[in-house]
Amino acid sequence: MKQELYRKLVAYLVENQDKFYRLAFSYLKNQEDALDVVQSAICKALEHYGELKSEAALKTWFYRIVLNESIILYNKRKREILTQDSEWMEQSYEEKGFDIHDDLYARIDRMEETAQKIIKLRFFEELTLEEIAQVLEMNVNTVKAKLYRGLKALKIAEGEEEETWTV
Amino acid sequence: MDRMTEAKREYHDIPIPQELSERVALEVERAEKKRRFSLLKRRIASAAAMVIVLFVTGLNTSEVFAREMNDIPVIGTLARIFTIRSYETETEDLKISVDIPSVEMIAEDLQGLEKEINEDIYAFCEQYAKEAEGRAKEYRQAFLDTGGTREEWEEHEITIKVWYEVKAQTDRYLSLTVKGAESWVSAYSEERYYNLDMETGKWITLHDILGDDYAGIVRRSILTQIKQRQAEEGTNYWPDRWKGIDDSTKFYMNRNQEPVVVLEKYEIAPGAEGQLEFEIRKEDW
Repeated sequence: MKQELYRKLVAYLVENQDKFYRLAFSYLKNQEDALDVVQSAICKALEHYGELKSEAALKTWFYRIVLNESIILYNKRKREILTQDSEWMEQSYEEKGFDIHDDLYARIDRMEETAQKIIKLRFFEELTLEEIAQVLEMNVNTVKAKLYRGLKALKIAEGEEEETWTV
Repeated sequence: MDRMTEAKREYHDIPIPQELSERVALEVERAEKKRRFSLLKRRIASAAAMVIVLFVTGLNTSEVFAREMNDIPVIGTLARIFTIRSYETETEDLKISVDIPSVEMIAEDLQGLEKEINEDIYAFCEQYAKEAEGRAKEYRQAFLDTGGTREEWEEHEITIKVWYEVKAQTDRYLSLTVKGAESWVSAYSEERYYNLDMETGKWITLHDILGDDYAGIVRRSILTQIKQRQAEEGTNYWPDRWKGIDDSTKFYMNRNQEPVVVLEKYEIAPGAEGQLEFEIRKEDW
């Protein structure tokens, strides 16, 4: 049983490695860091595969690990920059908030952490709301509410019609 | 084009470095090695712990108990038996294998009774093993003294065994027997029955269950039963020679919570019949 699940997990990880890399890169913006995240996420998953309840939970369980690893490294890098070079920090991290001239992708990047995760998983990774709820260990309704709020924030700035983005 | 589709395209345009597949493969391989190693470690550890584990789950492995298992839903929550000490030694003369059980009860106000019970069981097991070893050595000495050779002696399979069996467990009673046996002689085989009332954490006696007239109740029940058996099986019993029972008579509680009295070989029938068991049914109480 466990053996079988382990094999399925490995197959899933190998098959979908590009997706995990992109997700990690979307946070880290740096090849080496993104590779590190994918590698350590795989290491964690294979070490703790015993916690995996069923094959059905495999996808959302691993997305959670990748997101966690990405955010951990992202926060670490941010702290390093803060302590090393305050001037550089000002340039790259002070510019929070929307800039009309940025494209949507760049603006998603600057969204609040949870809203950003939801939007990336929903629109880039095409997870269902239920799957996202599992990844984030949240209620589906909460996910829905946060998604709409996030989209609204993006659209208000852009003045776009809500209907064009099918949730 | 829809801006979200555009953003998605931008996201999917993130280039995938060639290195990725190598790093993934490397990690999978490393985890596989680690896993195999830990499986191996676990296997070695479990082999070492096997004797212990055997009776931690022992209630399930006992045949008697396996039958009880299906009918009692809350089994094991009140009392648990496990091997507290288990050893096997083998010298050129002698094999000894000892499994000493211990009872763990979940009940309030046991006032150290559990400890007392376990100490008693422990002492019995240890003493038996020691005495049996002494007897084996005497036997060997006698054998050599009367002209036997070492080679001939070594052909003997001398084994001392101390073990236990769960006779029955219900939600109220737990009965187990602790046995000692020697392979070359049956005269010294010993067995003790331990019956625990798990509600009080105390030993139970026939007197506790059947009241003051316990000896009379058991006597009448057994005499009726042997008449039946004699008619059915043609076994020749010795009701006249039988002295009846007293508070040292062996018994255990069956699944219906009725005592089963165990009479020794020769006690009520020819030795060929061996030990005999008689259920004292509730209607006879």
